[in-house]
Amino acid sequence: MPVKLQTKDKVDPVTLEIIQGKLLSVVDEMAVVMQRTSMSPVIYEVLDFACGVCNEKMELVVQTNGITLFTGTFSTQLRSVVETYKDDMKPGDIYVTNDPYHGGTHACDFAIIRPIFQGSRLVAYALNVAHWVDVGGAVPGSLPPDATSSFQEGLRLSRIRLARGDVINDEIVRIIRENTRLPDIAMGDLNAQIATVRIAETRIGEMLERYGANLLTASFGAIIEGSALRSRATIRQLADGVYRAEDVIDGDGVTSGPIHVQVRITIEGDQVEVDFTGCPPAVAGPINCGAGALQSAVKSVFKAMVAPQEPSNEGWFQPLTIKAPNGTIFTAEKPSPTGWYYEGSVQASELVWKALASHMPERFSAGSYSSLCVIYLSGRSATGEEFIHIEPTHGGWGASEDEDGANALISLTDGDTYNYSIELLEAKFPVRVRRYDFNVEGGVGGGRFRGGFGVVRDYEILADKTMLTGSFGRSETPPWGAAGGRDGSVNRFEVIEAGTGKVTSYGRLSERTLMKGDVVRIITGGGGGWGDPALRARDAIDRDLRNELITLDDARSIYGYEGH
Amino acid sequence: MIRLATDVGGTFTDLLGYDEQTGQVYSAKSLTTIDDQSRGVVDTIDAARTSDGLEPGQVGFFVHGGTTVINAITERKGVRTALVTTRGIRDVLEIGRGTRPDLYNLRFHTPAPYVERALRFEIGERIGADGSVLERINQDDMERVAKALQAEGVEAVAILFLNSYANPEHEAACAAYLSDRLPDTTICCSHEISSLWREYERSNTVVLNAYVKPIISRYFQKLETKLIDATVRCAHYAMLSNGGVASFRQASDAPLNLVESGPSGGVAGAVRIGEFLGEQNVLAFDVGGTTAKCSVIVDGKPRVFSEYKMEWSRQSPGYPVQVPVVDIVEIGSGGGSIARVDEFGALTVGPESAGSKPGPVCYGFGGTEPTVTDAKLLTGVINPDNFAGGKIRLDVEAAREAMSGLGERLGLNVENTAQAILDLAEANMINALKLVTIQRGYDPRDFTLVVTGGGGPLFAASLGRELNAKRVVIPPHAGIFSAWGMLAAKPRVDMRKTWFRELGAEAIAPLERELNTLRQSATGYFGQDTDEALTFVVALQLRYRGQEHSVTTHVGTKLDPASIADHFHAAHKTAYSFDLVGTAIEITGIHLVAELQSPVISCHTVNGDGLTKETAQTGLRKVFEGAERGWVDSNVFHREKMPPGLEIAGPALIEEPTTTTLILTGQTVQRNEHGLLIVTEKGDT
Repeated sequence: MPVKLQTKDKVDPVTLEIIQGKLLSVVDEMAVVMQRTSMSPVIYEVLDFACGVCNEKMELVVQTNGITLFTGTFSTQLRSVVETYKDDMKPGDIYVTNDPYHGGTHACDFAIIRPIFQGSRLVAYALNVAHWVDVGGAVPGSLPPDATSSFQEGLRLSRIRLARGDVINDEIVRIIRENTRLPDIAMGDLNAQIATVRIAETRIGEMLERYGANLLTASFGAIIEGSALRSRATIRQLADGVYRAEDVIDGDGVTSGPIHVQVRITIEGDQVEVDFTGCPPAVAGPINCGAGALQSAVKSVFKAMVAPQEPSNEGWFQPLTIKAPNGTIFTAEKPSPTGWYYEGSVQASELVWKALASHMPERFSAGSYSSLCVIYLSGRSATGEEFIHIEPTHGGWGASEDEDGANALISLTDGDTYNYSIELLEAKFPVRVRRYDFNVEGGVGGGRFRGGFGVVRDYEILADKTMLTGSFGRSETPPWGAAGGRDGSVNRFEVIEAGTGKVTSYGRLSERTLMKGDVVRIITGGGGGWGDPALRARDAIDRDLRNELITLDDARSIYGYEGH
Repeated sequence: MIRLATDVGGTFTDLLGYDEQTGQVYSAKSLTTIDDQSRGVVDTIDAARTSDGLEPGQVGFFVHGGTTVINAITERKGVRTALVTTRGIRDVLEIGRGTRPDLYNLRFHTPAPYVERALRFEIGERIGADGSVLERINQDDMERVAKALQAEGVEAVAILFLNSYANPEHEAACAAYLSDRLPDTTICCSHEISSLWREYERSNTVVLNAYVKPIISRYFQKLETKLIDATVRCAHYAMLSNGGVASFRQASDAPLNLVESGPSGGVAGAVRIGEFLGEQNVLAFDVGGTTAKCSVIVDGKPRVFSEYKMEWSRQSPGYPVQVPVVDIVEIGSGGGSIARVDEFGALTVGPESAGSKPGPVCYGFGGTEPTVTDAKLLTGVINPDNFAGGKIRLDVEAAREAMSGLGERLGLNVENTAQAILDLAEANMINALKLVTIQRGYDPRDFTLVVTGGGGPLFAASLGRELNAKRVVIPPHAGIFSAWGMLAAKPRVDMRKTWFRELGAEAIAPLERELNTLRQSATGYFGQDTDEALTFVVALQLRYRGQEHSVTTHVGTKLDPASIADHFHAAHKTAYSFDLVGTAIEITGIHLVAELQSPVISCHTVNGDGLTKETAQTGLRKVFEGAERGWVDSNVFHREKMPPGLEIAGPALIEEPTTTTLILTGQTVQRNEHGLLIVTEKGDT
């Protein structure tokens, strides 16, 4: 009697749990290899990469990411590649794509894709996306903050086959080498990425041998379906209703005016619709994000709501619908620049967060410093070697209904992202860190619970003609307070000129040449407060006074403190 | 001569003694005395005197290990501690690395630092990355800080200045100044405990060391007095986290080196078991009540971590510290791990554990949720009448009832539910064992799996089969193996230093000089005039130019750039599946391990006279080997009565007072001349 094979075959829960555990080990192993072999600090320190496996239907089955920016971006990217090649995918193929207008994020994020087969049957895809330090374009690092077109943002390899029969196409490699300022680092990252998808193929191969393609693909489906069930159950418990939020983005890098954005969220039964209709068209500068990046922005906050600690897969997002017309600031199209897309996408995330925060205080805090506050320092060291130092800065997070906000954490868009060790930096780059502590001067949003503190980080420049570039959001509009808490403080960076001591303050700066002795001061804001400041506990104010986190004057004026 | 170890755990203090001449073994267990652990240690010595006739005066080697230091830290029982640091970086200790590993938790907080802001003081001074003095240390600042420290009544002060790994002179000057002004205060400098870069990690290291140093010093003084009173008058050692031991004085100087003292004993023991077997590659696996721990030993050496993270989890960055700790991966899978089915029908096992209170359902102490131990009982592996040497009678019916409740929700009968729990627990263990091998570039087929802990031997055979390990070994005293392992440890010191050079001919002479300095420090550390009695192992931290992470590469005694490069390419390829021959190589650090040669525990040869298979066999029990095979008849043997060298075919069960070893169909087991149980697949040699 012939055996009926269906992908809907029920997988027993034990086998399913075991297979899921093995899949998590696979992506973990990919991440370990990536982090340890990459030559680029953005990857090994900032963990600006993600690894994952999608099933034969291009749905995400398992993912590991060190940052939230890649939450759920794999499947849209993969679909664009599969649509291009259709039936022409074979075992041993490797694809590369970095196109923000085809599911990608920005040109610096290179995705490597490996289809995995059993015989001639395609069963899965292994993916790795990583931020490359330089992919050509107008400036070192490929992200001119005043770009007005994607053609200034470097090489775009849109859905390209990089290998056939596991033989890498040297011509494509040459294109890459010839279009980056740092070819050795690029090759290091490319090799590392390829190594990770090959390891995934080996491991999935071992699982295929053991479980067979039918059981494995059925398990993929069951993992996704299980998460979808849980996600819908969580949504059903939320109060139906329409939730709205508005916010302001401070400048786009080309123009500095306020950009008003908004969201409308409808929760009905087990469905959530997030609607960005009414947001402005794509702006001139590069803080736009493409539709793929918007997906990840919303999914990050959605994940925080339904299952913050569970491993990511497509199922969690089944109840979510995202509506946004084409061509807006959050759905930019070619050739709108998207280099600093995370400055735009984080504001999309925050709109969702802000709309829901006071309705779900157990999951959400008040507004945070939000912007990744990235600066670039580049130039030549004493030995004449070219360097680029890219650094996101940590800042203050919002308070919540029962505790003060967190100090000096990385923004929502990143995640397991380390700050740079001062000692490591000084041994490597011609800079000296003069100060790295809490931004007590800027302060935080007061409240029954106060926001967390941002940081101040001073770089003394040790080499003439060092270039500074940076783009900080929330330089005018501070993090929002919630439930009667006050707003936090703003982000900015300053240049203090050697000799004259002249100070210039910036939100977004395309380029400035620095001389030896100049100081770059990076300042990140404090988070918003939660609840009426008059209700803050006396011992909490005493503790802040003792720790020199607040002045007596401020304690009196913000909290009505009566001690001395 | 008697070698004696005591291992202080959270609940129990274990004692294990071994007489080198007669082969007699002494063991005892008593409750850990939380307020003053030294009492519990002396209690076990008294107990062993009463039960086994231990003569404390005959003890020639005493080692103390356990959770003393880690508990003082995690329970916040240290002293009021201040931090003195470079002007401008007061908050580095609190900022930490600013990571959010719990990515989607929008209310995440970094764990709180051990020194609050008000007790973190700044001093004007600056050392450059190359070790040059950029700004002299400010005397007025030191005076101001000394006054403030006095006013605050701190008991310990940690000092961290930037780049002190390159030049420690300012830290030393500050320590001298403050010691002079505050003679009763404990002063710790970062460079004394770590010569590695990364200011936050080094700050944390020196802060935690200072935080526990006064209480640990007092503890060892008290213990020493009590041991002498109990006539244990030999040299006293403390088990370190690096797999070696140190004198009580050395341990008191840098107590943070004891942070993983207990588990490290197990690793030292696994190294020793490898030596008995002539085996260089050992995978050590220990299953306790709440967690399982695994560790890999390559070329006869444990892997020592450069960055250990206290209280780390997937959701928390924990507290990274720069002390040498054996590389141990710990997972929430143990005998007490609880099995649950959620509302969507998914089965999970652990990480929640029933612990020892209430414990598994079958203990009858009030546990209601089935655990791994209950599953082992219901599949016939555990003998209900002979658990813990017959001290606890297990309640099979209660376990069955709980299991059937869980089974109903899965649509499985009792034994299949139990098997499902075991399959899942095993899958978790396999993933962890793969993490320490495959993900680090090793192939488990090249390893001997050494399994210990009360729960380990129950799983050993099937783990070995799943991993395709060469063979599986169950050492004697598997239930108190950490204590046994402490008797196998030698005095050891790990000298580590961040040090940069491009690898090339010019690097060799300065490298030799650095190594000589480190060798001299090691010789001085052991109080030796020459290094004749020491053995050294040299490893370098190497990377390709442009990389950040380095690969620890063992290099021979003769240093030449070409052979160092060859070793590095090979190590890189092992770890990461590729090498970049032709790319410039950088040295980023030196790691010198020095061991003082000294005798360690041996294994007595088993006297097989009068032992036969028949007298060893105690009965027959049905064991469930999964849905396909069903229940199989298994011969049951008493471990201590098995004649050495006799091969027994599975299915079989080997019982001893603290655990049971399960042998599967298709496997054979023998007890070798040292008393080790060795399990192999039939057909393997």
